[in-house]
Amino acid sequence: MTSSSDETSPAEPRPWPKGDGEEITYLLAAMRLAAGSDPVPGRVDADARAVFDLRLPGSITATPVDVVAAAGVRSGAEPQLHRFTTDELTVDVEMSISDGRLEVAGQVSPAPEPDAWVEVRTPHISKVRVPSPDGHFAATGLPPGWVSVVYHRPEQAPVATRWLRVRA
Amino acid sequence: MWAVARAVGLSPTDAADAVQGAWLRLVEHYDRIRDPDRLGAWLVTTTRHEAIRLSKRAGAERPSELPDLLDPTEPDPSAVVVDAEYGRAAWARLDALKEPCRSLLRLFALNPDIRYSHVSTHLNMPMGSIGPTRARCEKHLRALLEESE
Repeated sequence: MTSSSDETSPAEPRPWPKGDGEEITYLLAAMRLAAGSDPVPGRVDADARAVFDLRLPGSITATPVDVVAAAGVRSGAEPQLHRFTTDELTVDVEMSISDGRLEVAGQVSPAPEPDAWVEVRTPHISKVRVPSPDGHFAATGLPPGWVSVVYHRPEQAPVATRWLRVRA
Repeated sequence: MWAVARAVGLSPTDAADAVQGAWLRLVEHYDRIRDPDRLGAWLVTTTRHEAIRLSKRAGAERPSELPDLLDPTEPDPSAVVVDAEYGRAAWARLDALKEPCRSLLRLFALNPDIRYSHVSTHLNMPMGSIGPTRARCEKHLRALLEESE
């Protein structure tokens, strides 16, 4: 495949971000880099390294669909409702922050097979849950931030929801 | 990636989330990355998208707005612009600007989280004019840099 990365040759004018100069200040960002006035916190690099342990080779990604009830949710104190689907199943997830910790409750449908299990993942902590016969599961005490739910079924590829960020 | 997220105006916590979010998108797409040479640009572009998305959020995620970027065909301007060498060139040309531009850009460059109220006091400028003035000053400095290229 061809790469377009070399379309910007040094002889051409740089493609300045036009029209968004007030909100996105790349010039200042470059000046901060040069001055070292906005150093990258150490945990950002550590978090990036941690992410590579979260790869799920061969997994199926459940994509989000809008849930009508979620559209009006704007307060961080109220739960966020999300629905993720693949061709064959649905994962509904409700996320909320309580006392600074992330709580996740959800349901997989159709009803799970007996040996199925659910993993609620954050970049640093994951919790394993066995869903109830009607597919319900819940996990509490997780750190706020990015979260994904993985549905493991016997002899089938795991299904992972896309990562979502949840903060108060 | 950090500088790009911060350039969008995010707090340190949100910027860290945007950077981590970009890495997580990479993990989601891991099986499908076809052009490893473009990974750096992809991560920068994705960081910018995540940062813009997080900056717009008001308590709730809208998952349908998640970016799905496998092969961005357009070079991301931020990947070109945000580097220390360009920043050094900008510092070198700063003295060519008139006031208040010189002081204003210096203040913002050295104090990423400075509040407009502090800028207003420090430079004796009305709050409402800081944003537009900053945009105008950046435009001047960019023009100076383009001249000298």
